[in-house]
Amino acid sequence: MRIRGGTAAVVIMALAAAVGTATPGATQDKTLTIGVLGPLSGGAASYGVELVRGAEMKVEEINKAGGLKVGNDVYRIKLVSYDHKALAADAATAANKLVFQDKVKYIIGNAVGATCNAVQTVTEPEKVLFSFVCWGTNNLGPDKPHSFRAMLSQWEVAEPFYRWVKDKHPQIKRVAAISPNDTSGKDTNTAVVKALKGLGFEVAADEYYERGTKDFYPILTKILATKPDMLDVAAAPPGEAGLILKQARELGFKGPKGWTAGVNPVTVIGIAGKEAAEGVWSPANINVKSDFVSATVRRFGEEYERRYKEVPGVIAVANYAAFDVFTKAMQDARSLDTDKVLAALTQKPFDTVWGKLVLGGKETYGIDRQFLYPVVISEIRDGKVVDIAQVLPTALKK
Amino acid sequence: MSIDLLVQALLNGFGLAMVYVLVALGLTLIFSILEIINFAHGEFYMLGGYVTYYVYALFGLNYFATLGLAIVTVGLAGVVAERLIFHDLRGKALNAFIVSLGLLWVMQAGAQLAFGVLDKPVPSAFSGIVRMLGLVISLERLVVTVCAIVLIVGLYLFLRLSRPGRAMRAVAQDADVAALQGVNIEAVSALGFGVGCALAGGAGGLLAPLFAVSPAMGALPVVKAFIIIIVGGMGSLPGAVLGGLLLGGVEGLGTLFMGSAAVNILGFLMVIVVLLVRPRGLVGGA
Repeated sequence: MRIRGGTAAVVIMALAAAVGTATPGATQDKTLTIGVLGPLSGGAASYGVELVRGAEMKVEEINKAGGLKVGNDVYRIKLVSYDHKALAADAATAANKLVFQDKVKYIIGNAVGATCNAVQTVTEPEKVLFSFVCWGTNNLGPDKPHSFRAMLSQWEVAEPFYRWVKDKHPQIKRVAAISPNDTSGKDTNTAVVKALKGLGFEVAADEYYERGTKDFYPILTKILATKPDMLDVAAAPPGEAGLILKQARELGFKGPKGWTAGVNPVTVIGIAGKEAAEGVWSPANINVKSDFVSATVRRFGEEYERRYKEVPGVIAVANYAAFDVFTKAMQDARSLDTDKVLAALTQKPFDTVWGKLVLGGKETYGIDRQFLYPVVISEIRDGKVVDIAQVLPTALKK
Repeated sequence: MSIDLLVQALLNGFGLAMVYVLVALGLTLIFSILEIINFAHGEFYMLGGYVTYYVYALFGLNYFATLGLAIVTVGLAGVVAERLIFHDLRGKALNAFIVSLGLLWVMQAGAQLAFGVLDKPVPSAFSGIVRMLGLVISLERLVVTVCAIVLIVGLYLFLRLSRPGRAMRAVAQDADVAALQGVNIEAVSALGFGVGCALAGGAGGLLAPLFAVSPAMGALPVVKAFIIIIVGGMGSLPGAVLGGLLLGGVEGLGTLFMGSAAVNILGFLMVIVVLLVRPRGLVGGA
């Protein structure tokens, strides 16, 4: 059996090729086309799937009610979604398709920080309003006035979360954080480390892995050698967070676990197993069946579960709320012109599925483009997600 | 840095190397017999994972029986693929390259449509850890490694001792001479493709409980498999084992000293060095 060496390099390079799947659409009269981007396949697919589902539910609600009345016109909303596999290059391609081919002026939904940066290179010059759940710090700023984060980020949740940890679990002194090696991961670990140091914790490890990693034994061996009291799988997406927790347990770690950017604990329980997932705290999640959430969220959760046979995570709720906020702003502006809608967006709070939602964040980002709402800390207990505390982000207190 | 930590890192690296060697052996077997590179090989690994998910995780069949079923099912899928798609592409490397890339996309998209895009968890078949001399060994990984070694030895014996195995080796050495000796090239090609895919399916079945299954799960092992066959020995079975151990060891130890991005390129650096210094691979023949 022989294989030529010359063929080998070609083989390796060709394996790197990847192209996204797409659902193309076309603009029609009295049809408002709105784009949704996200990883719909790969390790972060659950983010993209929830974004699309949250959008679908709000859009169907609006269309069933006769459409969106903006000024004197009534629009049926049409969704166009593209999969970028959490890759920045694919995200830029998809954004170009949405803006120049599908002619959208609104992209409501995207996840994974580096892909948001890529999309913004298209949306900002074209004044396309872009809402996302990416956690990159530089995704918001005065130089990006058309960009909005529809979900609390690490900067809103890390400090109140670790303040709560310090208050309720004073035995925890050393914390290790692990995140994907990209913008979202780096920013999340940075926020976690800043919160830890500010509150007097020791940072046992501040580590990164490549997205798509399945075998975490090597990096966990290095982390667990630092003897952390607590392991934070900070910005790991649910599939990878589940594997990290499972393998950490296999390597003997039995301490408390956090998931600062955790958004879908149900998936984590499935992947990690009940034992390895037991006790994971998450400050960014939402449990739609909890006593802490409003009746509106519970109804949303019931409808979501009926349609998709899964319990929604926070991203589905966030994108549903983002569609709500943007369509209300269009109605307030009586126009689809993005300058007018932008002005309407920043004028007043909105009543949403989260309850009262305000746009803030100027202290952190230099511009008020961050959706703000209360933080609910949940814990996985015996395979179930239980909400255990509600705390306010510092910015919301103000 | 303690010796324990270094040994544990090496152990981690070696732990799954044998499974990737299985994938590599399947690739190199197909190349040897059909003279084509099957870029969709990782998708047959993925199929093995899904067979395990549906049969073991959902229907609760015994894990080892499931593993056998994954090997047979994916092997048969390989035979079908060879008969329907690759049959006329024997020796046409460029055509096969394009077709196998197409098959990769079709299988991935088909898996997304059929199974969904989200990771599907497969419960551990063996739980618990073994502690020995300060080292931690997962029982599940130990079983997976032993199973992979059994399959590698089984392949070796099949190729050495069985009549179809000898026919496959004959075709790999010289198809024309083998045909003159009465070897049925058509049948051997189908069998070779099937056995190659079966090895990938077995690897998918072995790793499914460790990593969960998803439509894109085939990408990583197939990259590792290519590194292994280039470094180890260009088609040599002992070379593939050596390549797997080397890759595992380098990645395992590398993680202790550098970041994950740097570790990921170590394998490719090994490929570059081997191609420059010894293009036939460490154990490859002339």
